[in-house]
Amino acid sequence: MNPIDEGSAIERCKNGDREAFGLIVQKYMKPAYYVALGYVGRPDDALDISQDAFINAFRHIKRFDSSKSFFPWFYSILKNLCMNHINRSRRRKEDSIDEMVEEEGQSRIPVETVNPEQGAVQRDLEIKIGTALQRLRPKEREIIILQHFQDYSYQEIADLLGVPIGTVMSRLYSARRALRRELERMGVRY
Amino acid sequence: MSCDTFKPLLMGYLDEELTALEAARVGQHLQECHECTTDLEDFRKLKEVTRNMRVVMPDDKYWDEYWSNIYNRLERKVGWILLSLGSIILSAYGLYWVIAEVFLGKNVPLVIQIGVGALVVGFCALLVSVLRERFFLSKSDKYERIKR
Repeated sequence: MNPIDEGSAIERCKNGDREAFGLIVQKYMKPAYYVALGYVGRPDDALDISQDAFINAFRHIKRFDSSKSFFPWFYSILKNLCMNHINRSRRRKEDSIDEMVEEEGQSRIPVETVNPEQGAVQRDLEIKIGTALQRLRPKEREIIILQHFQDYSYQEIADLLGVPIGTVMSRLYSARRALRRELERMGVRY
Repeated sequence: MSCDTFKPLLMGYLDEELTALEAARVGQHLQECHECTTDLEDFRKLKEVTRNMRVVMPDDKYWDEYWSNIYNRLERKVGWILLSLGSIILSAYGLYWVIAEVFLGKNVPLVIQIGVGALVVGFCALLVSVLRERFFLSKSDKYERIKR
């Protein structure tokens, strides 16, 4: 969908056209999922939260200035929901020792190798990288997932997040440095 | 320019995202700066080790259902609002009708009037109490989400 189509789809959404909103959802559902995954770290939660964000966006679509790009506006809704989720999870962890133990055991971003010759060493590396990713701060995880693991260009990331390319580079620098540090701490040699 | 200025640009250099001019400037800096060269080499190794790795995508069926889930929830929300609105209107009218019949109607024994009055007042008191608890008290209940 080109920007002109997006603008007209948004205008139709403002008149309550849900089918037009479907076009917007189809275009942005995967970036929304990756951003949410970067924040909350769990695939199921990321799917739920990204869907909630689209529902909220549709409800408030009349407030959106359709001369601007949709995703940066949507991103602020999504980020708020993610932060609420993280805060709720933190409170829950404080309240429940059982859940804290359970989450410690399974906390890693699922990572896989494309066209793998899947050996035990590679599998172990995937697990370690997934665990290291999970230990990054949400903003670091977000940019690493988008650029490093999903191959979005700097321009695409800048457009998605509504930030300049310089910011993309500096965030990526500190995120990669943090990832490197985590991997070294886990004894990964490369 | 200091290394701090070049550090973020190392990312663009590594990912081949810089303009030719920027890349030339970074290349020149790298010839003079051992620290940034080592840094770049470490990032290159990190990129190499994670090459061909992807964050696992949800199955296609999740993406197929993604929009329909949103659509259904939007639709149901409207349905719930209409259902609630209809229920409130009908309940209010029913209540008005019962009260009018019982209290304004002729030949209704006093005991029935007292009984219905107590029922209505009791129901309203309970409703207000439950709503108050749901809307105000549960927000500050830190044990609300503990699994039992």
